[in-house]
Amino acid sequence: MLLLKLAFRNIFRQRRRSLLTALSLAGGYILCVFSFSLSEGSYNSAISFFILDHTGHIQIHQDDYLLRPKIHKTIDDPQGLSELLDANDEIISHTLRVFAPAIAYSDTDNAPARVIGVALERERSTSTLAVKISAGVYIDDKLGAEGYYSAMIGAGIANSLKIGLGDELILISQGADGSIANDIYIVRAIVGDRSSADRATVFLPLIAAQEFLSMVDSVHEISILLQDDGAARSVATSLQEQLPELTVAPWQVVESTFYRSMQTDKQGNVFFMGFIVFIVFVGVLNTVLMSVLERTREFGVLKAIGSRPTKIALMITCETSLLASFSLIAGLLVAVPLIAWFSSAGFALAEPMDIGGIVMSHITGDMSLYVFGAPLLLIIFFAIIISIPAGIRAARISPTEAMRSH
Amino acid sequence: MTAVISTFEVCRYFGDDEETMVKAVDRVSIEIERGEFTAIVGPSGSGKTTLLHLLGGLDNPTSGSVELSGTNIADMSGATLSDFRRDHIGFIFQSYNLIPVFSAEENIEYIMLLQGVDASERKRRVADMLQQVGLEGLGNRRPNKLSGGQQQRVAIARAMVSRPQIILADEPTANLDSKNGIALLDLMKELNQQSKMTFVFSTHDEKIMSRASRLIHMHDGEIELDELK
Repeated sequence: MLLLKLAFRNIFRQRRRSLLTALSLAGGYILCVFSFSLSEGSYNSAISFFILDHTGHIQIHQDDYLLRPKIHKTIDDPQGLSELLDANDEIISHTLRVFAPAIAYSDTDNAPARVIGVALERERSTSTLAVKISAGVYIDDKLGAEGYYSAMIGAGIANSLKIGLGDELILISQGADGSIANDIYIVRAIVGDRSSADRATVFLPLIAAQEFLSMVDSVHEISILLQDDGAARSVATSLQEQLPELTVAPWQVVESTFYRSMQTDKQGNVFFMGFIVFIVFVGVLNTVLMSVLERTREFGVLKAIGSRPTKIALMITCETSLLASFSLIAGLLVAVPLIAWFSSAGFALAEPMDIGGIVMSHITGDMSLYVFGAPLLLIIFFAIIISIPAGIRAARISPTEAMRSH
Repeated sequence: MTAVISTFEVCRYFGDDEETMVKAVDRVSIEIERGEFTAIVGPSGSGKTTLLHLLGGLDNPTSGSVELSGTNIADMSGATLSDFRRDHIGFIFQSYNLIPVFSAEENIEYIMLLQGVDASERKRRVADMLQQVGLEGLGNRRPNKLSGGQQQRVAIARAMVSRPQIILADEPTANLDSKNGIALLDLMKELNQQSKMTFVFSTHDEKIMSRASRLIHMHDGEIELDELK
């Protein structure tokens, strides 16, 4: 306690110098927190975007469908699986999908298309497909008056084929049984615009797609939305144990390229922040060494009356850590309201930014324990590291030589 | 009587070159008994302070041995030596050397904290010491709010509070006027008689020397005369 008191009072001995040091530490902390918030916020927005757009938190496939998609790699008895997933409290919703490449025709033109059959009601509560409709209505899985199923098509297809709402769309593909698949659909909705990722996609009711591809009562993919964003890996592991014959993958595996680049970028960010903090601490080191130099005689006396060298080194570490702690408290007082504003309001970017293939024009920060805690630990770590050479210097002071100094 | 301090042929030389080497302490052998009030006297540069530093384990001898209570401290270093100083030796310095950010009480208390004395005992002993050195009511003052004489009294209290066997004082009255210097020496003498602690102090002040029961005269690092009074 007396050691802490001594450290505390020593900080206030040179008030102006301590204040300047504290300001540089607090400034460094605020800069780090803001940078972490920006980085985490950007990535969280990107993650939310593709999780809700199509990926979900977890996906289930047959074998290695994710790496090598083949029409015959199907999940059979999806209804039984749906009942299992519906009973899981950690799962908000899930949807069933089938995929196939196709050629889309209109009366005058043709274009390559990606056909996705979706369980319409489940898809509505699992992804943002319904929200992305730019014209028309979200379809149902009933045959129309013309005897054809409805389709929702990407704006790119609509433009290439020069078709719109109410027009006929012909799809040709290969069925799972090797037969030639072809059918007519009525366009009831346009999805997104010509720059959307879905611009070349045709969305069909699941039953229509299954009939089209001759794969009745089987799907290629189950996409799952969880209550907790952070539980993807653990729930995926648990589901994998329950479904050993299938492949269960969290979004980190499904979007592995994005995830790896995000992790690399985050590590780079930590390194960069570490470098900034290191620069700040070069100044702090100067302050601490100066403080040791000025108190040479005092350390000599402390040693003479029986303070162990380690105790003296500990006192220097204690002083530096205390100064860093005060600076961090001051930094927190500024950073918390700043990040609260940044995470709720955010700001519009002058130029859209590409984050892992997702273009963002408005950015918000993240307000989490990590954002505030990681820079805090970084600064405490450097405070301790930086106090070591000064502490060693103080601990090595010879009492007799110190006593001769002024 | 048993010797509390015993040196044998102790030397402290500075410099490696034979021609420029300074023999601050040269082959000094002394024995000081428990409870003695001894003054090491001599002109500036005679080796008084160096000898005191050797006796206190603040400096290592070039050769020879320094035994305190039967333990040779010449070969000790680091934490072992720090602990030995903390438990066996009290220091009083010419420039008081109090910790400026501590109050008088805290300066006295600090060494007991190092010894692991519990809080209530520390408080009791601090109050006792302040009373013995005549500083009741001034315990919460910081050194810069005390006179030189008062600061040196705090330093005496700090040296004695841990109940060491030996008190080493390096020119304790040098920064005080003669009246305060004599008063301080009288206080030290009185405490010496009450506690039976061994006091060894260096001085070149004739008036101070008269209070000592034994005078060890030094000249050019050697003992010139050792007289009991």
